[in-house]
Amino acid sequence: MADLALSIQQVSKVFGGIRAVDGVSLDVTQGERRVMIGPNGAGKTTLFHCVSGAHQASAGSIRLFGEDITQLPEHQRTLKGMGRTFQISSVFVDLTAMENVQLAVLGVRPTKWSPWRPVEEQPGVSERALEKLELVGLAGKANVGVKQMSYGERRQLELALALVNEPKLLLLDEPCAGLSPAERQRLFKLIQNLPRSLTMLMIEHDMDVALGLADRITVLHRGQVILEGSVDEVRVNPQVREVYFGQV
Amino acid sequence: MNSFILQTFNGISYAALLFLLASGFTLTFGLMRIVNMAHGAYYLFGGYVGLTIAKLTGNFGLALLAGGLAAMLLGYVSDRTVLRRVGDDHLAQVLITVGIAYIVGDVSLKIWGGDAQKLPLPLFLRGVIELPGGIVYPTFRIFLTAIGIGVGVLLWLIYRRTQIGAAIRAGVDDREMVSATGIHVDRLFVIISALASFLAGVSGVLGGAFLTVFPGAEWEILVFALVVVIVGGLGSLEGAMIGALIVGLLDAYGRWLAPELSYFVLFGPMAVLLLFRPRGLFGSANMT
Amino acid sequence: MTQRRKILIVVLLAAALVWPFVGGQYGTSLMTQIFIFGMLALSADLLLGHAGLFSLCHAAFFSVAAYTTAILQVRYQVPTELAAPAGILMGTSLGLLFGLSVRTRGVYFILVTLAMGYVIWGIGYRWASFTGGDSGVTNVPAPSVGGFTLSTMLEYYYFVLAVMLLVMYVYHRLIRSPFGLTLRGIKSGEARMRSLGFSPPRHLYTAFIVSSFMASLAGVLYAYFNKFVNPVSASLHVSFEAVLMALVGGTATILGPFIGAGIILGLRNWVSSFFELHLAVMGLVFIIVVTWAPDGVIGLLKRFIDRRKAGANHG
Repeated sequence: MADLALSIQQVSKVFGGIRAVDGVSLDVTQGERRVMIGPNGAGKTTLFHCVSGAHQASAGSIRLFGEDITQLPEHQRTLKGMGRTFQISSVFVDLTAMENVQLAVLGVRPTKWSPWRPVEEQPGVSERALEKLELVGLAGKANVGVKQMSYGERRQLELALALVNEPKLLLLDEPCAGLSPAERQRLFKLIQNLPRSLTMLMIEHDMDVALGLADRITVLHRGQVILEGSVDEVRVNPQVREVYFGQV
Repeated sequence: MNSFILQTFNGISYAALLFLLASGFTLTFGLMRIVNMAHGAYYLFGGYVGLTIAKLTGNFGLALLAGGLAAMLLGYVSDRTVLRRVGDDHLAQVLITVGIAYIVGDVSLKIWGGDAQKLPLPLFLRGVIELPGGIVYPTFRIFLTAIGIGVGVLLWLIYRRTQIGAAIRAGVDDREMVSATGIHVDRLFVIISALASFLAGVSGVLGGAFLTVFPGAEWEILVFALVVVIVGGLGSLEGAMIGALIVGLLDAYGRWLAPELSYFVLFGPMAVLLLFRPRGLFGSANMT
Repeated sequence: MTQRRKILIVVLLAAALVWPFVGGQYGTSLMTQIFIFGMLALSADLLLGHAGLFSLCHAAFFSVAAYTTAILQVRYQVPTELAAPAGILMGTSLGLLFGLSVRTRGVYFILVTLAMGYVIWGIGYRWASFTGGDSGVTNVPAPSVGGFTLSTMLEYYYFVLAVMLLVMYVYHRLIRSPFGLTLRGIKSGEARMRSLGFSPPRHLYTAFIVSSFMASLAGVLYAYFNKFVNPVSASLHVSFEAVLMALVGGTATILGPFIGAGIILGLRNWVSSFFELHLAVMGLVFIIVVTWAPDGVIGLLKRFIDRRKAGANHG
């Protein structure tokens, strides 16, 4: 059995009386690109929250590269090599693009506590930040405040934040949501060109993007996994068609 | 043992007063997300107006009404002129309402002077009542407790058993959803605001009768009411009741056992809360 | 650092050095007060402007430090070199305790810090056997280390000026450091910070302690300046005003709190000389500033300069 990057076993998340996620099991091998699809309200983002630690799972276990992280608080999961983007843009609007990425760099380093030397003079921080800004095409806007950036640029920044510390597992929550076709193309290419050593779990609504990036697809509906398989298998499956198009 | 029972009654009567003030504050915040530090000023102003009316007419009931109405008017004016503009910005709300409180406090000082003044009470409220067990207790405090319980029950019934109460609860839970359902949210706000400031004014008159009205009273009572709300949880009526009881009792016992350090007892419940349940006993997680 | 900023600093420094000869005894005293309360406002602004926490208990640290130093010097004849650090230590220790408040956010934080601050005032007021109650602690001697005594207003002015400059410098480095950026990140998006690997409560607690340290330092300076410490130093008014000063001058800046202190103290001194209701005037200032100038003086200046730049570009 190939090494598993992520192993989700019977994870549930209950809010009040609602089972947003209901006994989901999912295994993602290293280097795999897994896409989760499903109609709105299927529990995809909630599952992401459980994996990243924003929510505590009500039941089940989560293993990251073999290590049980179910009880680990959110910030410590990041230190273990997890990066994520959010469906709703969550970059720091009061700061510049550069400051955003600098924070991401500092997040996993003890130098975040340094009280004396300015951020620009901290070895390695600004260089790495700039590298990632270049990767996502925002190098020219490094000193621009996020408030002055377009939504598309903010999504690019969002990706930079997730990538800057070379995570081993990347969680992408609808990275292309709300983008124009051209921006969508651009971001799609960027994600496609990420190194194969990086394991990806992605939520995507756009079928073209999903089918173009995925190795395997997991379909979620009402908090449960209803199907898992290769792109071709999922594409022709009648249940999937019903779930997506049968609903009014 | 007698002392203990006496202090317990003291705590309960003070709790009644605190509840009257805290309930308005917590509902105002719960529904409108407005932190109104001028509540203490409403208390003070109501108390002073009640004092004047009581001295002029000798009618305590009239004084209560006048105090409540005066505070309500003050609240309405503050609301319409300045508070409307700041929306959800808590920093702005606090500073503006503190500013209002400063103005009211200073003007009151000019009008009524700096001495602590006690509200004259009608004969039937003066003196003491003998309770079973041979304990003798001030009539007024029993009266105050009765009012506190009465108002509490009334508010609770409205809150939990009427349609308007359901609308308020829904609004505390989720403001946007309530306005989407077509309930006249604005009207609800005005009603709650008016009720809160009226209660504050009435509590000022009641407080003035056994604690006296004096410059600075507005801050003391406000802070106690805030501790009540912190302990009980913002937005919760039940929280205001339980919180008031806890703070009232602790204050009474504190004054009895260690008068010089009695303010310290306010720390206790707050520290415990902060360690184990920062949002208060009945507070919901989405209150800030 | 830009040329313009360097010139500004030199000009301000020169003005501060020359001030006693321009302002006389009264002016020197007022300016010393402005420096001290400016530092208090700056300490509150570390939390407000950078971490987004609106603290209303800073007068407590200020006052506890002042009382500690005063009581040690007056009642127990403890020399300055021990009494002053002891004051700072006591105030900061209180900060360690009050720092529990960072377990709350938003409104709860405001209310909890307000209540905590009030309790300290209450204790100072009621524990008369120890604090002197309303009368407070009087006759604080001039600070004296080794054989060296700061006995005149003039000497003390320059001393406080030196301390203030040092504090400003350290603060400047702190807010530009990773620690400072972390605070601003927390203010801008705490949830996001967690997903980046930060543990916001730890940073906020640390910032709170640093802030209480600064407020305590100001408190010790105040004790020697005023030569008298009473419960008013712990009152809500002092905490409210500290925040107001930062707001009036401009939050998240270094000069802002001092400008604000100058305006508020200057205004109060001026108004109270001819008008009784100066608290009411202060209340009005609260309302006016918050409603029309929430960015403070520095914010207004920035907007003015930006508008002129835009005008010049179009011309």
